[in-house]
Amino acid sequence: MRPTNLVVVYITLLIALLCQLFPWVGQGIIFRPDFMLIVTLYWLLRAPHLCNIGTAWIVGILVDLATGSLLGQHALSFTLVAYMGLSYQRRLVLFNPWHLAGYVFALLVIERLLMLMLKLFEGNDNPGLHYFWPVISGLLLWQLMILLFGALTRSKS
Amino acid sequence: MLKGVHQKLDPQQTPAFFVRGASAFSRTVFFCALSISLMAIDARLNYLSQLRQGFIAALHPLEMVANAPSNWVRDVSHYFSAHNQMVQENYSLKQQAFEHQVRLQRLNTVEAENAHLRSLLNGDIPIQPKAVLGEISHTGRDPFSRVVVINRGSQHTIKAGQAVVDSKGVLGQVTRVFPFSSEVTLITDKALSIPIQIERNQLRAIAFGEGNNKLDIPYLPTNVDIKVGDTLVTSGIDGIYPAGLAVAKVTQILQDPDSPFAKIISTPVAEVSNHLQLLVLDLPLAKEALPIVSPPTTAKTPDPTILKAGTTASPSTKRRNPIQPNNVIAPANNSQPNNKVKPNAPN
Repeated sequence: MRPTNLVVVYITLLIALLCQLFPWVGQGIIFRPDFMLIVTLYWLLRAPHLCNIGTAWIVGILVDLATGSLLGQHALSFTLVAYMGLSYQRRLVLFNPWHLAGYVFALLVIERLLMLMLKLFEGNDNPGLHYFWPVISGLLLWQLMILLFGALTRSKS
Repeated sequence: MLKGVHQKLDPQQTPAFFVRGASAFSRTVFFCALSISLMAIDARLNYLSQLRQGFIAALHPLEMVANAPSNWVRDVSHYFSAHNQMVQENYSLKQQAFEHQVRLQRLNTVEAENAHLRSLLNGDIPIQPKAVLGEISHTGRDPFSRVVVINRGSQHTIKAGQAVVDSKGVLGQVTRVFPFSSEVTLITDKALSIPIQIERNQLRAIAFGEGNNKLDIPYLPTNVDIKVGDTLVTSGIDGIYPAGLAVAKVTQILQDPDSPFAKIISTPVAEVSNHLQLLVLDLPLAKEALPIVSPPTTAKTPDPTILKAGTTASPSTKRRNPIQPNNVIAPANNSQPNNKVKPNAPN
């Protein structure tokens, strides 16, 4: 893995925020990946000394403010997912790309479930299974991140 | 001490060369607690709206950048749209405008006549709300909420609570105002309800949002006179939505023999997904509805109320009736108009 610096992390987060702010119309919003979460997770798993749980929390607050949802919802779920992601971070070198994809998939599903729970507590009605589409599109975005910024797993030798 | 030994023995966690602050677990606990308390504050208290407003204002340039590509695409496609189509559209619009103008001429006379009749009967004069034209900049980013964001904000004198309509009917209500944009909650949102009237028989009721692009009219008996296809219009009782705007069409009536109430489902007539332009109506009644609490005494109080209301209301209302707010809000106050309203009440 190449070393990274803080500027790259923040620039990618800013781009992710821009993507999140992009006017998603109609059906597009169902398939929209959670840009901020994917980017945060990538840097969290790759460089935890630059992007840690605190960053995840701040990113969550930004998402809350941008989407206009209850302040702290995304922050809470992002923090918990970041913690779960960090707990296996040191072992990622041993994973092969498929394992890593499965791991990220699990993390994204957990985030969706947490958000769903919070939203249901808030009094919204059950949105149905299409609420989980962002997990699939998020995995695609994850692969794109790996293509752009390098793999987290050991390259085949 | 013990913890340090434990950490050394743990094969997963190599001992850190440099101290990096608190452990991941304690950080997690801290930030979770922080976000939970933030949620509680945001849900129960109103301290954070300032913060939100500031942030949205700061985000505005970024939002403009994000919106730019789709705006360009729209402009370019507009630019290249066929000349022929433009001419046709122009022609039909002119025709429409002509028709509307003819109708408008009649409307003016009818309105004058209506005002005159109302003044003869000591009723109040319906107030023509002013409006601000806005454009939908995006539908809400949260798929749960039924919200659209428009490009008019407190800089354009938008206030929370104003009604929003499009060319077909009522869209919803402004719920949050930011400097350059504001959030409009649609009438289909679960949190909103809207006082309505059946256009055919003037039956009054309240429609509640169902969440899935539907409205529900609860608490009406099974034998109520509502048919599929009936149009619901605003009744104007709340002083927010002016009376007579189209709201929805009844699409389904379910009659459950076990329940004393009919389940009446209707779909809104406003087309959120098709249009961009909408009108934000002023709230003329909100201010004038205030003195309604005190005015049972007719002779003495008018002067101060007139002085207050005179700044906002048109001067012609001064002469006619000191109790000029719409009589529907407090029907008990003035008995005469009340009798005229009665026939409309549910039978």
